[in-house]
Amino acid sequence: MILANYLTSAAVFCVGLYAVLTRRNMIKMVMGLSLMEASTYLFMLSLAYRAGSTAPVLLDPPPGESMRALAHGNVADPVLQNFCLTAVVIGVAVTAVFLSVVVRIAQHYRTLDSGKVRELRG
Amino acid sequence: MTAQPPDRRARQEATEHEPVHRPWPSALIVAGMAVALAAAMAGIPREHAALPAIARYALAVALPKWGLTEPVNEVVYGTRGFDTFGETFLLLAAIISVVMITRPREPRRGYFGEETAAGREQSESDPAGPGDASEDAARSAERREQDERRPADQAAPRTADRTPLGSPAPETAEAMTIVVRTAIRVALPILAVAGLYLVAWGYSPGGGFPGGAVIMGVILLAYAGFGHRKISRVVRPGLLEAIEIAGAAAIIATEALGLALKGSFSANWLPLAAPQTILSGGIAQLFSASELIEVGTGLTIAVFALLAMEHDWSPDNQDESAGDPGDAGGTGDSAGDQDGSAGGPGDSGGTGDSGGTEGESGDTRDRSGDRSRQ
Repeated sequence: MILANYLTSAAVFCVGLYAVLTRRNMIKMVMGLSLMEASTYLFMLSLAYRAGSTAPVLLDPPPGESMRALAHGNVADPVLQNFCLTAVVIGVAVTAVFLSVVVRIAQHYRTLDSGKVRELRG
Repeated sequence: MTAQPPDRRARQEATEHEPVHRPWPSALIVAGMAVALAAAMAGIPREHAALPAIARYALAVALPKWGLTEPVNEVVYGTRGFDTFGETFLLLAAIISVVMITRPREPRRGYFGEETAAGREQSESDPAGPGDASEDAARSAERREQDERRPADQAAPRTADRTPLGSPAPETAEAMTIVVRTAIRVALPILAVAGLYLVAWGYSPGGGFPGGAVIMGVILLAYAGFGHRKISRVVRPGLLEAIEIAGAAAIIATEALGLALKGSFSANWLPLAAPQTILSGGIAQLFSASELIEVGTGLTIAVFALLAMEHDWSPDNQDESAGDPGDAGGTGDSAGDQDGSAGGPGDSGGTGDSGGTEGESGDTRDRSGDRSRQ
């Protein structure tokens, strides 16, 4: 029942969203954003799953499968796996940008509380 | 947040009390989001749906057209090569942002240790070092404690491996204990070979992306186990950033040559080797190897830029936090004056580990100077 995976990823996304909305500690906000990112990985890999399929490798088909069946689609979706693969690296880099901004804010304002960082407030 | 059992109370006191900011409106938004996501996910294809057309296309062309037994790799570097190309430069943009944000005021050759090495020179040219009397007392107490632990005639060993066995912990060098170092010595070559194997055999899924991440892990492991001196010849901004840009240039050349030679961007212009050989996949393999360089150096740059971030912009003084910009100029000036008057005697130690704070107090005076000029 792959719908459970979908709903789990939605739940993880909502946990991340709740953390971003309710926390004022900026490290925890970054953690919430990372959770939202991770939920998309789970979602994409679940979306790639097909019942009774095998990995998209055109080599040594498992017993009972032929190469032709593999090439005609009895595998998990390789395109979504590709999305996940690149998204992981991009996610790491974007988290690094967030964290470096947070460290600079913390050095500048001496606080991690986003509620106290309000120099731009009119 | 709610009532804790009494045995937890001690631990709860140690943690910072964190207020939850506007829980009910947030809960409402999250509930709305959850309903929207659940409704959307009830309607999307499940595990019995047929594969989408692009997936079937990728599976059909992977072996005949690219000589790759790995459709995921074919999608990453072939069918959707343009997407990967864009993501590569998104990664590069993120790395450049990190480098820009974390950059110190002065150009440096290495990520770590330069402020320590320059501590003596800094203290000579800038005698107004850290001025706090209690800080000096703490420093000298710490130094005395270290001297007690170490025999007076025996200097710290140059590397951790020269520490004689049986010397009291903690070991004096910057590395970890011999157990950790030995474990890392065993694991490091295996990991490095595994990372390069992912890339060299181009029919592995993803190629350069996981390979680059593994290489970054290898460098971090060496840093954690052996200290920055062991890796400082490789991990320095000048070298890594040049390699990073070279990788990006190689990716551009790989993709653009397809446009020049075959008439379409990211077309294969290399002869195809037999499947499951080191050269199979044509430009997919070249792209993957360039991606290894790009991702490996890029993530290393980002991680070390973050690790080596210094106090740079703001005075390290609690009572002049920038809550009130109009007032901060005055307090900044007075703090600078205090540093100048009290800093003289505190500087006599001149040890390396006071380098960081000297930098900070220098920044204090720079900043107050800036503000008084405004």
